[in-house]
Amino acid sequence: MTGSSASQVLLVLPVGIPWVLAAVLALLDGRRRWVGFLAAAGLGASFASLVWLTVVVLREGPVGTVAGGWPEGVGISLRADALSLTFALVSVGVILVSLLYEIPLGVRWRAFPALVLLVAAGLNGLFLTGDAFNFYVFFEIAMTAAFILTGYREEDYQVRAAFLFAVVNLLGSVVFLIGIAALYTVTGSLDMQVIGERADVLEPRSVTVIAAVLFAAFCLKLGLFPFHFWLPAVYVGSHAPVAAILSGALANIGSYGLLRFGADLLPRELEFGSVAVIVLGTASIVYGALQAISRRDTSEVMAYSAIGQVGYILLALGIGGPVGYAAAVLYSVVNSLNKGVIFLSAGLRGPLVGGAFAIGAFSVAGVPPAAGFLGKIAVFQAAITEGSLPASLALVALVFVGGALSFLYSFQVYQRRFVAPQGPGKASPPTARFLVVALAALIVLMGVWPEPLVALSDAAAATLAGGSG
Amino acid sequence: MILLAALAVAVVFAAGTFLLLQRDLTRVVVGVILISNSAVLFIIAAGLVRGEAPIYPLPEEGLTGAGISDPLVQAMALTALIIGFSIAALLLAIIYRVYVTHRTVDLEEISAIEMRYAEALEAEEDPEEEELPAEEQDAEPEDAAETQEGAGER
Repeated sequence: MTGSSASQVLLVLPVGIPWVLAAVLALLDGRRRWVGFLAAAGLGASFASLVWLTVVVLREGPVGTVAGGWPEGVGISLRADALSLTFALVSVGVILVSLLYEIPLGVRWRAFPALVLLVAAGLNGLFLTGDAFNFYVFFEIAMTAAFILTGYREEDYQVRAAFLFAVVNLLGSVVFLIGIAALYTVTGSLDMQVIGERADVLEPRSVTVIAAVLFAAFCLKLGLFPFHFWLPAVYVGSHAPVAAILSGALANIGSYGLLRFGADLLPRELEFGSVAVIVLGTASIVYGALQAISRRDTSEVMAYSAIGQVGYILLALGIGGPVGYAAAVLYSVVNSLNKGVIFLSAGLRGPLVGGAFAIGAFSVAGVPPAAGFLGKIAVFQAAITEGSLPASLALVALVFVGGALSFLYSFQVYQRRFVAPQGPGKASPPTARFLVVALAALIVLMGVWPEPLVALSDAAAATLAGGSG
Repeated sequence: MILLAALAVAVVFAAGTFLLLQRDLTRVVVGVILISNSAVLFIIAAGLVRGEAPIYPLPEEGLTGAGISDPLVQAMALTALIIGFSIAALLLAIIYRVYVTHRTVDLEEISAIEMRYAEALEAEEDPEEEELPAEEQDAEPEDAAETQEGAGER
């Protein structure tokens, strides 16, 4: 479990760099350009250390360390495996692009770069921690920074969206905290590995209740169908890069949490509830797509589309097994990138932006050259492996219909936003446009050359399947 | 003892939920505070064991842990309390911001004010630009103007 001392230091860097830098930058005026670039440099360093860590982990297996030099089992442990690194990489990537995008447009708040760094620090912390309570603490760091970011620009509706977002998600956090406390009561440990081992031998009934509580908490974060009501108001209200951070990075907490706590720690309970998970995923896909078709405003359509897209992740999770988990990881990654491109390009105008948006829309719909195709194929594959013939046929039909509907609403939006003659207004700064185009190019590249992504998500799924046996 | 703790958690949580559903935003915040405190109670209840204080020179020889109350829940409760406290401060700040712009913290009054504002906007709307949704029309020129302002400040 433990690697060399160099890799243990490496494990602290992705969390430590943005955290310390955020504390320093909070004292400076974030509206100055160099402060913004300093924050971006810090995020870049964090991203680079994540890449390095990924190389180490893929070569030598999971890396772990215990904070403060405590013996193992006493101190708070940090742990990195392929699953946590996949999510950390994509989240930090989307946050970095969003920050770079906002700098040329003009940062409006002193605290903006520091808050973005705090979101990144919290996310990296919760992906890399091996301790359930620590997960909650980092989760609150990321969420609290995100609550404030939602109110960025201080339009009235943004402040109200921030309030709604904060209240609903706090309720989710409290439910999650209660779940953690309950896990501690029944297993007597907060270490994720120990919880996973002991939960397997416990009486199923008590653990099932806890699993349901945790499931509800993560679905609230993801904005899944019965828990979705807060999501459109928040996404519509927020400024483009903030919306990209929320849906491209912060929503990963939900999918990572479901994979970590569901597939890794409580696989027996996940299998027990798989029918409920698949039904909720289905409801989410259908509801999200239908609502998205009926809306006109770009960000509103994309908010409902987000509800539909997480349904696929849940579907893959419910199907389970190595194929299902790999599909869930792959779909989460692709979905984050799609949402990043779409929200960012919807906030811009000028040449090339329409093309980037179209690629994002293609990817959401799952049309071949874009990476979204990969995600859809993975879910298809998982659906086909599902046991009985009628069940797998129904799932395949559902994924197909969902894809067709998402194709429809994506191009409705594209037509309204970019084909219709645009009102007067000058083109956005070229740096921001270049970033969006680069992100879109990345999506196409992943679609054309999918091996690295597929290998990474298979490795992530292997760590899950390895834990549950 | 466990029953009492469960009852206390239930009562606090229910009271918090009731307040959360009120129209007055201040009450909503109080509700959030109560609910987060019910989670703290729950954590403490998770380690509800009678025993010696967990201070290092243990009264008996050997670190068996038997007869010593659980110190971990205290640490967790403390952390959760601090998080709850900072969140409450943040929510109150957001409410204050809403109060400054709307002069009220009642949800119905706020939405009435916003309805009036939206109607006023629609009345002013230029008939030529009906193709675009209302939000985009004002958002973008304003954005451009504000970016320039920002540049001026710098």
